[in-house]
Amino acid sequence: MEWVRLIIGSICIVCGLLIALIAAFGLFKFKFALNRMHAAAMTDTLGILMVLLGLIVMRGFCFDSLKLALIILFFWFASPVSSHLLAGMEVEISDRLKDNCEVEETERKGGRQ
Amino acid sequence: MTIPVVSEYFFGSVIIVIVLIMFACLLRAIRGPEIADRIVAVNMLGTLTIMVICILSLWQNESYLLDVALIYAMISFLAVVVLTRVYLGVHREHLMNKKNRELYVDFADGESADAAASDAVSGALSAEEFSAEAPTGKGGDI
Repeated sequence: MEWVRLIIGSICIVCGLLIALIAAFGLFKFKFALNRMHAAAMTDTLGILMVLLGLIVMRGFCFDSLKLALIILFFWFASPVSSHLLAGMEVEISDRLKDNCEVEETERKGGRQ
Repeated sequence: MTIPVVSEYFFGSVIIVIVLIMFACLLRAIRGPEIADRIVAVNMLGTLTIMVICILSLWQNESYLLDVALIYAMISFLAVVVLTRVYLGVHREHLMNKKNRELYVDFADGESADAAASDAVSGALSAEEFSAEAPTGKGGDI
């Protein structure tokens, strides 16, 4: 039983590592910041889900696994918010936005962005 | 091969791979041409650090490290929010300063252009008066 848990958990952790590797590769392959953000957000959600899920499976059901699940939950709430803020900043600051993606001109509605 | 030995080797190799990925992210954070690239790389660096802390807590059987990881997650999220806010503020202030300076330059240019135009007009007028006076003088002589 211990061996089975170890093997399943290690498979999950290796999957998470592969996703983090793909994200690091995408960080160097893409040329524009919004594309890079798309690649790097994969680590924040799926990568950390797989790694911490593997750790939960290895650890078993106890208080530590609850804390690990809380970390996953917090990341799933925090990562989209930070991506939204970053994309808003990039759209407002970048000079070469129109060279890299199609921009539809809209009226700004006086929000905080 | 017992379970502790295998899990020790496994955790060690996983942490080594994560550290290599972290070096790649650090390289992107140093080289990134724009500020958004750097913040993306720093965000991913924080995520990988949390992975390392969680793995370390299971490896060493220290459950308080999970609390450290939770607090680290909150602080790295806060870092991204604060960095974006600060750079947006700096950029807007810079833009406003530039606009004000351009307005001032336009205003000053307009003033000097008006002055030059009025000078030219008055010069032309005086020349006309002079040339209008001169023929009459000449005609009087003749």
